[in-house]
Amino acid sequence: MKFYCEKDIIQNAINTVQKATSTKTTYPILEGILIDAKDNTLKFTATDLDLGIETYINANVAEEGSIVVKSSLFGEIIRKLPDDTVMIETNGDNIIIKCQKSEFTLVGNNYEEFPKLPTINENSMYEISQDVLKNMIRQTIFATAQDETRPILTGVLFEVKDGKLSFVALDGYRLAVKSCEINSKNNISAVIPGKTLNEISKILEISDEKVKITFTPNHILFNLGNTKIISRLLDGEFINYRQIIPDEYNLRAKVKTNKLLDSIERASLLAREGKTNLIKFNILDKQIIVTSNSQMGKVNEEVEIELEGQGIKIAFNSKYFIDVLRTIDSEEIYLEFSTSVSPCLVKKADSNDYIYLVLPVRLVDND
Amino acid sequence: MIDYGNRTIMHIDVNSAFLSWSAVYELQRGSKVDLREIPSVIGGSKEDRKGIVLAKSTPAKKYGVQTGEALWEAKRKCPELIIVPPNFNLYTKYSNALYELLHEYSPKVQRFSIDECFIDYTGMEKNYGKPVEMAYKIKDRIKNELGFTVNIGIGRNKLTAKMAGDLKKPDMVHTIYPEEIPQKMWPLDVKKLFMVGRKTEKKLKEMNIITIGDLANTDVGILTNKLKSFGKLIWEYANGIDNSPVQTQENIITKSIGNSTTTKFDVEDYITAHKVLLALVESVAQRLRATNSCCRLVTVELKSSEFLSYSHQKKLFTPTNITCEIYKAAKELFDEMWKKEKIRQIGVRVSDLCSDEFIQTSIYDNDIDKKQALDKTIDDIRNRYGKSSVFRAVFVDSGVPEIESGTETEDYSTANQLSQIKSK
Repeated sequence: MKFYCEKDIIQNAINTVQKATSTKTTYPILEGILIDAKDNTLKFTATDLDLGIETYINANVAEEGSIVVKSSLFGEIIRKLPDDTVMIETNGDNIIIKCQKSEFTLVGNNYEEFPKLPTINENSMYEISQDVLKNMIRQTIFATAQDETRPILTGVLFEVKDGKLSFVALDGYRLAVKSCEINSKNNISAVIPGKTLNEISKILEISDEKVKITFTPNHILFNLGNTKIISRLLDGEFINYRQIIPDEYNLRAKVKTNKLLDSIERASLLAREGKTNLIKFNILDKQIIVTSNSQMGKVNEEVEIELEGQGIKIAFNSKYFIDVLRTIDSEEIYLEFSTSVSPCLVKKADSNDYIYLVLPVRLVDND
Repeated sequence: MIDYGNRTIMHIDVNSAFLSWSAVYELQRGSKVDLREIPSVIGGSKEDRKGIVLAKSTPAKKYGVQTGEALWEAKRKCPELIIVPPNFNLYTKYSNALYELLHEYSPKVQRFSIDECFIDYTGMEKNYGKPVEMAYKIKDRIKNELGFTVNIGIGRNKLTAKMAGDLKKPDMVHTIYPEEIPQKMWPLDVKKLFMVGRKTEKKLKEMNIITIGDLANTDVGILTNKLKSFGKLIWEYANGIDNSPVQTQENIITKSIGNSTTTKFDVEDYITAHKVLLALVESVAQRLRATNSCCRLVTVELKSSEFLSYSHQKKLFTPTNITCEIYKAAKELFDEMWKKEKIRQIGVRVSDLCSDEFIQTSIYDNDIDKKQALDKTIDDIRNRYGKSSVFRAVFVDSGVPEIESGTETEDYSTANQLSQIKSK
């Protein structure tokens, strides 16, 4: 194998596929990137067996061939090379990197040991623009579970039903549903690992270029043109989230998103001291009083609201509110409540494409 | 700043606690015999197979009966030996009474185990007089008002106070002030030193360290080399150095609550095992609620009839103190771990505790309010009318006690070894 390519092009390709390389593995080959050179095209592949990424770049290929090189070291070397054409060739299982007056010889691995990514017949079931997909991930992924007590909750539900695509994430304490129109008659329900979406959202760009999505019973494939991302799907039934979302409320408050966020962020400074993240809402006719206290002191914040219904006192983990208020894309939001122990719904005032549900903290009077 | 060298600490230790307490209780109920004056022991009944000596009377000691030996062994040494089963509820009551009485003399009382307390008497001289005189008063008051005898040790720290309390029993007051350490502590066998167990004793004796004095005068470097930081600790103890504070009830944090029982017969089926688990959980959950806590982790421990022990643990989705939720987790654990062999001992432990003041609700909660109300009602009834006043129907004629509070254990998070619970 021998090829010539610009340094920054190689570097971008490495950055893209590196997101799938394993860092802690008992299978060292997975720490590597597979490079295939053919027909003036380079294919870079990396996988941790759950997630696989391959990306294509153009290069001047003098001699076809393949090799596996350790991802982290290769990435570091390329990044530190001068901005110029890089020549890479193999010599047995060794790989030689030349750029201007630098020359590296690295130990590589035989490409035959590298696991093959699952082959998927692309039928492009769905098409969605990159920026929409990125936003859908951003507004739901934070609500996935971080621990493995219930593995299915570490993923995001990808659901297409009657021309509507919904991303749903929940960790048992809160739930985020983001929807958009999709031009497809195929209904589907599959759970994508949170880690996959997290890595994809780093690769996605803010552009209206389409991403093509294909499902198999066990895998999902995102095709971004030059880059393909294949991920295993999570096994198991997702929770029937619709039955958790109440359709009625006793009171509804309209509030300015950033005003509420600022108040809660300030109040949570003290909540954090007490390590409970506990903040209390006292919802009155014209305002919400946000309070919090810990051994270090107490705080009292007022936020103006427009209220329908009777006031209420309710307590929350401040993190669950901050997460949503930071990502919701609406200047004004509705907060819907029923009782002090039932869920609160957060909705956009100008659209119904987003629903966030958060369960309160139960306060117990120890007599 | 606390002047560590100038504190006055007292250690109060109930003489043969379980036996004394059972004896006092029997006398109060009109018994004519004082268990303390005849050869007697506290131990589980033979049928229950919990057959070891937990405490012995002085006359029983003369026959060579030892704490920890099997009951049948003790019986062979002394055929007329009276065996009284333990009554932990009773012991807790006496222990609380002792604690209350001591609390009159100092705000700083630490319950070190069920039958031992430390009090920090520093600065109390003005109100109550010299430590030694006061110790005699306290000792006599306990004897007259509560009916049992104690040893009181006085020192500048908890270590020397405890060592003093152990000097000569029963019903005595001893001091070990710094200047008395060489003559009172150093001649003792090194195994008498707090924290020196059988294994350490063996290691020390191999190093020709026979007495506490030998240990105190050994180069600390040699000890740390051999026993790591523990070597330094026991060297400090041997020299009477200990700066640990008397920890009052409020700042001792319970780390876990557990309960285990040796069953009357080997358990060989799921139904019986589940009943035993439920009986254990009943008691564990009630104690958890009594401390206003919830747990996030449940552990089940098994010991087979061949004395092989193993355990599994499970993290809960939401912290809880509801009996049936903990039981559910315990049952799942048991079912996943049991290898179908005969089970001799079953234990349940809850840990990773947090306050029950505020609990994040989850979508998996169901009927929490109802379950909490139920548990609270049952607790109230049991507290008022006794543990067996209300129990689950599954226990009727099952041969499994409805609430198993056989061997209760609690761990506390503590600053150093002297603060750790020592089980007797």
